[in-house]
Amino acid sequence: MSVHVSTLQARISGESTASSPLSTEEYFVNMGPQHPSTHGVLRLVLRLDGETVREVVPVLGYIHRGIEKMGEHGNYRQFVHLVDRMDYLSALANNWAVTMVVEKAAKMETNDRIQAIRTLVCELQRIQSHQLWWGVFGMDLGAFTPFFYGLRDREQICDIFEKTIGARLTMNYIQPGGVMYDIHPDFVKDVKAFLTYFKSKMPEYDALMTENVIIQERLRGIGKLSAERAIALGATGPVLRASGVAHDLRKSEPYGLYSQVDFDVPVGTTGDCWDRYWVRMEEMRQSVRIVEQLIDNIPEGKTFLVKPAAKIKVPAGVHYSHVETARGVLGVLLVSNGKDAPYRIHCRTPNFNNLWCIGEMATGGRIGDLVATLSSIDIVVPDIDR
Amino acid sequence: MEAPNLIAAVQALQPDATVRAQSDRPTLIVPAHALVALATRLRDDPALRFDLLETHTAVDWLDEDRLELLYLLTSVPLGHHLTLSVSVDRDAPVVPTLCKVYPIAEWLEREAYDMFGILYDDHPDLRRLFLEDDWVGFPLRKDYEDDFMLERPE
Amino acid sequence: MGVITDNLPGVLEPLPGGSVLVTAVDQLINWSRSNSLWPLTFGTSCCAIEMMMATGAARHDMARFGAEVARPSPRQADLLVIAGTIVKRMAPRLRTLYEQMAEPRYVMATGSCAICGGPFMYHSYTTIRGADEIIPVDVYVPGCPPRPEAFFYGLLTLQKMIREGESIRHPGERRRPVLAALPEGMTLDDIRKEMQDLLSHDANVNMTEAAAEGAHYSAELKDF
Ligand code: SF4
Repeated sequence: MSVHVSTLQARISGESTASSPLSTEEYFVNMGPQHPSTHGVLRLVLRLDGETVREVVPVLGYIHRGIEKMGEHGNYRQFVHLVDRMDYLSALANNWAVTMVVEKAAKMETNDRIQAIRTLVCELQRIQSHQLWWGVFGMDLGAFTPFFYGLRDREQICDIFEKTIGARLTMNYIQPGGVMYDIHPDFVKDVKAFLTYFKSKMPEYDALMTENVIIQERLRGIGKLSAERAIALGATGPVLRASGVAHDLRKSEPYGLYSQVDFDVPVGTTGDCWDRYWVRMEEMRQSVRIVEQLIDNIPEGKTFLVKPAAKIKVPAGVHYSHVETARGVLGVLLVSNGKDAPYRIHCRTPNFNNLWCIGEMATGGRIGDLVATLSSIDIVVPDIDR
Repeated sequence: MEAPNLIAAVQALQPDATVRAQSDRPTLIVPAHALVALATRLRDDPALRFDLLETHTAVDWLDEDRLELLYLLTSVPLGHHLTLSVSVDRDAPVVPTLCKVYPIAEWLEREAYDMFGILYDDHPDLRRLFLEDDWVGFPLRKDYEDDFMLERPE
Repeated sequence: MGVITDNLPGVLEPLPGGSVLVTAVDQLINWSRSNSLWPLTFGTSCCAIEMMMATGAARHDMARFGAEVARPSPRQADLLVIAGTIVKRMAPRLRTLYEQMAEPRYVMATGSCAICGGPFMYHSYTTIRGADEIIPVDVYVPGCPPRPEAFFYGLLTLQKMIREGESIRHPGERRRPVLAALPEGMTLDDIRKEMQDLLSHDANVNMTEAAAEGAHYSAELKDF
C-alpha cells in the first residue's frame, strides 16, 4: 500500500513571496488558543511578511469533546441535549436538526402547533444570536458600546425563553415528537412587547454602527470572498449569502412553517466584511417579520405527540436532514442499524466550513484586518470541534 | 432533478455505479478508483452541477470488515442532492483525495483520517485535525479502546 | 450574614482635622484584594456566554463587586474563571495560563464541565473530568451553565474566602475549596433583600438617597 502525501512544510517553503526590492523576512505568529478575539479556543498560525498576512493556518482541537462518539452510546433523545453544546448560540436550531432527521426516518407525526412553536423560537433565537454577534463584532473593532447594547437587548429574549423553556442557553426543547413544554401563557404578550421594543432599537443600532463612517471604512473591501470560492469551500449561511448566493434552506427546502410566511433572503454583492455585516443586520429585520406573521396565529393542538418514555426506533439506513441555523447549514447524518441508539451520527456543522474561508479572505491583507474578518464570519469554536 | 432521473443520469456517466438501498437520498455505490473523475464530471456537467460538497464522513462497519465513505453532494443552483458511497478495506483504507475538485475536502478528509484512519492518496497535508499528533488509535472506529474513556454505569 | 458586601475592617475614630483608622494589615490587604479582583478573559465553550452576560450585560454588571477589569493577559489577572469544558489538548495550556498568573491568584470553576466533566463525563475520549485535575480550584459554581446570579454567588463566596483566608505571614496558604451552591432554603429574593438591606444602611453610598437626589437634579434641569 503506498500513499503519497506532500507536507504542509513543502507547500510553504516552495513558494517565493519576494515582491519588494527590500529584503524581508517571513515569520510566524501564534494567535490563540487564549486570545480575546478568537471567540473561544481557536488557534491561528499566521505566516507574516511585515504587516501582510501570507498564510493563515487554523489549528483545531482545543475543545474537541467527542460528541459523535458519545452519540453512539445514548439514545436519540439523549443526543438532542448534546447538540445544544455544539453551537450554543443556535441551540434550538440544533435541536431541530436532530429532531427532524429522527422524525423523518422514524415517520413520526407532528402538528401545526408544534411546527409553529418551533419556527417561532428558532427565529427568536436567530435574532438573539445576531445580537450577540453584533455586540462582539463592535468590540472586536474597538467600540465597546455595541457590546452593552447588544447584550442588553439579548436579555429580553432570554427572559422569554426562560419563562417557556426554563433555560437561558442550553435549551433541549425541541424533541422528537414535539416540544418539551407548551408555551407559557405570557409568551404571546411578551414576544409582542419585545418586538415593539426591538423595532425601536434597530435605528439605534444603525446610528451606532451601520451609519458610522469609521465602521464603514474599516469594513468595506476587506476580507473579500467570491461566490465561486465560497461554494467551493462549503461556506453557508450569511457568509455565503454575503457573496451573492441566495442559498437559504428556509426558502429552498422549507421546513416548519417557513413555507407559509413571507420573508426575503438578503444577499450581498462583493462578499466583503461590510456585506456580511449588512446581511446579518437585514436578517434580524426579516426574522422580526417572520415572528410578527406567526405570533398571532399559533394553532391549537397538543405539543407532544408521543409518550416521553417511549423508545424511538429508527429503521436501518442512512438518513440526512439539514436546517438553517444563524450561521449556516447544520446537517445531521444518521446511520442506523434499527436499534434505539444511532450506529453512527455525524454533524455537518456550519462553522467548520465557514472557518476555512478565513484563509481565502485574510491572505494578502493586513494583520489588523484579520480580527475584523474573523469576527465577521461569526464562528463558534465548539461547533467546529464538536 | 427527480431522484430516478438523477440516478439514471449519473449511471450514464459511471455505468458500474449501483444504487445503495436504505438511504433517504439518492445514493450510488462507486468504486474508489473512479471517484475523482466522476466527481469532476458531476461538478462540471451543466445538467447536474454538484458544486457543493456538503459533508464527507465515514462509517465503520465492523462486522463486514469495511469502512464506508459517504460524500454528500448538493447542487446550489439546481437544488438537488446526491450521495456517493465508497467502500474500503478496514486494514488498508486508501482512497484518492477529492481536494482538487472540492477544496473543502482537504479538511473534511483530515477529519476522517483523524477519526477513522483513512488514508487519502495525494492529499496535500494529511495530519490529524482534532487530536494530538501522537494519539494512538482512531476514536470513531467501533473497536477503539482507551483507558481514559469511562463507561456509563447502568 | 455579610456575604454580600462589607465595610472597611477596623475602627474609624473621627478626630478634628481627620480620622484615625485602627486595623490589622492582614485584614486591610485581604479586604482590598477581595474587592479588586481582575478576571482573565478565558472561556472555552457555552459557559463563557453566560459569563459574558454576567460581566458585560448591563443587567448583571460585575463592576458592582470590583471585578470588572477583565484582562486578556494572564500576567495582569488574578482571577481565573474556568468557563467551559477542558479537553486533553487544552489542559497544558490551562496549566501554562495558571502558572503565568502572579500570586495571589484565585481560580473559580464554573459549570459542571469544569467541576467534573459534566455532560461529557462518560464515553468521551478527550474531556478532562474536572479542572481540578490540572490546577487547584478555590470555588466551584455548579450549573450547566450557571446563571449569572449563581456566578455572582460564587464570586461573593470567593471574596468572603479571601477576606477570611490568606494572611501575609503565610502566603499561598489556602482554605479548603468551597462549593458555591446556594445554601438550602436560600432563594434569589433572599439575596436581593439582603443586598438591599446592606446597601440601605451599611455601605457608604445610600442608593435610595442617591436615586432621590438624582431625580431632584433632573427635575431641576428640566426647570432650567
Ligand atoms: S457546564 Fe454545560 S454549559 Fe457549561 S461548558 Fe459544560 S456543557 Fe457547556
